[in-house]
Amino acid sequence: MRIVVVGVGALGSHVVQLGRSLPVQWKVIDFDRIEAKNLLAQFHTRMGVGKNKALALQQAMQGLFGVKIEAVPHRLAADNVEALLGDAELVVDCLDNAEARTLVQQFVREREIACVHGALAPGGELGRVVWDHLFVIDSEDTPGQETCEGGEHLAFVAQTAATVAQAITLYVGDRRQVSTQLLPSRSMVLDSR
Amino acid sequence: MRYARLNITWNGQNGDLPDPVSWHASDKEILRWATEAVQSGSVPGITKTGHVRMHTFVVDRFPANKEIREDRIYVRPRTPFGAGSRGASPCA
Repeated sequence: MRIVVVGVGALGSHVVQLGRSLPVQWKVIDFDRIEAKNLLAQFHTRMGVGKNKALALQQAMQGLFGVKIEAVPHRLAADNVEALLGDAELVVDCLDNAEARTLVQQFVREREIACVHGALAPGGELGRVVWDHLFVIDSEDTPGQETCEGGEHLAFVAQTAATVAQAITLYVGDRRQVSTQLLPSRSMVLDSR
Repeated sequence: MRYARLNITWNGQNGDLPDPVSWHASDKEILRWATEAVQSGSVPGITKTGHVRMHTFVVDRFPANKEIREDRIYVRPRTPFGAGSRGASPCA
């Protein structure tokens, strides 16, 4: 199965490393570069600072685990969405803005490609792992709102990423689509089909 | 009348309203009921809070299906992020 992960920051980078034993082909897309501040919450290391996140993750997966993944160091846009997502059998949306999420959602719905979305509340109080048929794209409360303050949310970010990786694992196994809502103290299955 | 269980996430806490609500209630009504319930301390699992503002919160509706046999409505804060590639937060 060919899985494309869009956005390999806080959620996406952990999703890929947690899914490394799956019998799938990974492609990761991210235009952004690693900054020192990213190291507290993302599966990126000091060696990667200054590098593109997709390329750095590709290098880390190969170097640490011997796992080959395809990396695309570009921003997903209307004029390249077909080229970047067109061959996907499963799209994993770990983006951080409504505009790009909308682009992904429109494309997967038009092409009937399976898609699971990972999403976090700004304060690290809520995470959602929701399959596309149920996913509603949230805008920010205020433009430019911060994802979270400090590195105290790392465990919850990783917990949400692990839930995304588990959703992918179930889908790869028997095409089951399980949607989940998580709090630091509790998780709830929203839907399963 | 079709009823649903109402689940509320507020301030890192979560709980169900003890009584079901109408599935057909508007989002505005749901948010008002959720706000009043948290303010009055009537949601098990959520500490009574004097000043509650849920005007930016989202109302999700999940119909019953083969595996989960009850209609459910969730009130929750927005979840706009996944990559965290913006801003000056150390978490980004």
